[in-house]
Amino acid sequence: MEFVGSASTQSCITQKRGRRVYGDDRDFKSKNLTAERRRREKLSNRLLTLRSLVPIITNMNKATIVEDAITYIEKLQMTVKVLSDQLLEMESSSEESERPRNDEINAAEEMKKHGIEEKVEVTNVDGCKLWIRIISKKKRSRITKFLEAMASHGFELSDTNVTTFKGATLISSCLNGVYSYKIEAEQVKELLQEIIKSI
Amino acid sequence: MQTDRRQPPDNHPKMYEETGCFDPNSMAEGGDDGISQSVKHHKEDDAAVSAIELELQKHLAFNVEDTHTQSISINSNTHSIHDPANQNHQILPPYEHSHSNWDSGVVSADHMGGFDQNENDQSQQSFINTDISSSFAQSQTPPLLNLLQFPRCTTSSMLPPNSSISFTNPDHHFPVPPPTSTDVLYDPLFHLNLPPQPQPPLFRELFQSIPHGYSFPASASRAAANSLFGEIGDERDATGAFYEDGDVGVHLDNRVLEFSRDLGCIGRRRETAGKPTKHFATERQRREQLNGKFKALKDLVPNPTKNDRASVVGDAIEYIKELLRTVNELKLLVEKKRCVRERRKRHRTEDDDEGMKPLVDPADQSYNSSLRSSWLQRKSKDTEVDVRIIDDEVTIKLVQRKKIDCLLFVSRVLDELQLDLHHVAGGHIGDYYSFLFNTKIYEGSSVYAGSIANKLIEVMDKQYAAVPPTSCAY
Repeated sequence: MEFVGSASTQSCITQKRGRRVYGDDRDFKSKNLTAERRRREKLSNRLLTLRSLVPIITNMNKATIVEDAITYIEKLQMTVKVLSDQLLEMESSSEESERPRNDEINAAEEMKKHGIEEKVEVTNVDGCKLWIRIISKKKRSRITKFLEAMASHGFELSDTNVTTFKGATLISSCLNGVYSYKIEAEQVKELLQEIIKSI
Repeated sequence: MQTDRRQPPDNHPKMYEETGCFDPNSMAEGGDDGISQSVKHHKEDDAAVSAIELELQKHLAFNVEDTHTQSISINSNTHSIHDPANQNHQILPPYEHSHSNWDSGVVSADHMGGFDQNENDQSQQSFINTDISSSFAQSQTPPLLNLLQFPRCTTSSMLPPNSSISFTNPDHHFPVPPPTSTDVLYDPLFHLNLPPQPQPPLFRELFQSIPHGYSFPASASRAAANSLFGEIGDERDATGAFYEDGDVGVHLDNRVLEFSRDLGCIGRRRETAGKPTKHFATERQRREQLNGKFKALKDLVPNPTKNDRASVVGDAIEYIKELLRTVNELKLLVEKKRCVRERRKRHRTEDDDEGMKPLVDPADQSYNSSLRSSWLQRKSKDTEVDVRIIDDEVTIKLVQRKKIDCLLFVSRVLDELQLDLHHVAGGHIGDYYSFLFNTKIYEGSSVYAGSIANKLIEVMDKQYAAVPPTSCAY
């Protein structure tokens, strides 16, 4: 039961408890009173904030604040929908520009400029854990393909980090084999190099 | 004088019946009023006619709001205005008074035709006739007419259907009619303000006799009901069921609600659009309705957290802010797209070198001087996504609970959305996977924060559904 207003709190608590027991009851009531008051103030403050956000307000009571907020939210949702449909429409009718090639050309040049070379490093860390480190030219959706390749070979990557710098991508990760047998670092390295070349 | 006017039946029974003691008439008979004289003065004055008309309409609009109980005060008003000189507004008091009397009786201009029989002054008659007819042809007439419905029911329980036609037809013009078509709507006892006890059952009957779809304008109901329906409140409870069904209930409900403070049980059925007041029979209903609203608010918000009122409101606040951001973002995007398109068109028509087309046109930037920024958070059962966009950089934070190869899927999604992944950081923390993705939007793509977040959640949830719920050890 919601009771608004401190005046009614006393009576409400009495009703809640069902019987009138004094002494002990009084302390209980007063503790609850503070908490209840705080709770009400919290709700009241939030309602005020809500009201401040909504531009169209009619009356100033709890019920209408909530009601106006509902109306406003629905209106905004409609606007979002309309705009995003519009965007989608424009998207479908517009032309795609050819960007990726430019990117790639730039990437290669950048790498050369800064002396970064493509590299694959594999190190044995712990039992069947390997640590791999790959530097490669940045290409569109290369990372995705790499990850897919990893998954298809049954390698599980944990603690992966990818970063990009001057047209080069650095992938460092910890690799666990699917199968429990030990995998040779060299083998993996060759495998990875092949993969990188292919994607 | 007031009582005089009220009781002309002795003198002019026929006229009274049909016209509800229209004042200029009675006053003309009665003699010494300046009013009738001024009426005669004005009959030739067309400009005055229109001015009077205007003022009459104003006054009528005002009068319609009053209850009939206040008609007496109007009468006293007219009293005071009566006396003097040749002023245009003097013509109003008779109209006012006539309004109040019409209040108790006449409405249809059919009655006006009855004048002809009683009034020798044809020109005056026609002046008054056209005046009133034009003014009453307004929408104010229906309320008046409706007002008259109620007294009607004391005299006869069933309304003849054709009388209701005059109410619902706002275009009803009042021609000079044959007297035979006159419907007498006047209840001679009405003005006495009899207590409404006999009314309620008849009122109900009245409702039932009205064809479905008929609706009372609010003002009229308001005027009449205070006196009529004060007693009905209790009865409404019993007949609550009646109002539940059909259009009649709804229509009547609206109007009934607006005028009566005592009809608490009606409060249950509230009209959502623009209803000024709600009335509840019990505190309980009020609480229930308030709770219903909070629930509705909660249902609107995408990520409801706790179920208590304060957090519902808090979520709503955040959601409104988010929606505002999204709207701004979308507007910006649409604008950008439009500019790009126009630029392309321009270039094509100018026959430029396609290959040299710069992608970031300096002219273009002048259109979009504002920095695009938006922020969005979405949660699902096992996934939390936080998307922040500043200009063309998107930062995505992802937290996932179960163990799937999220990197792969996310990477795929990002490719679909044309986001260039620059940096990924994160890993396995306790039960969760947490990642931070820094991406750049490829030129020409118009994704917005909402779409990214939604897509990610969608994919993640799909994957979760695909993975059987086994233990995380792999």
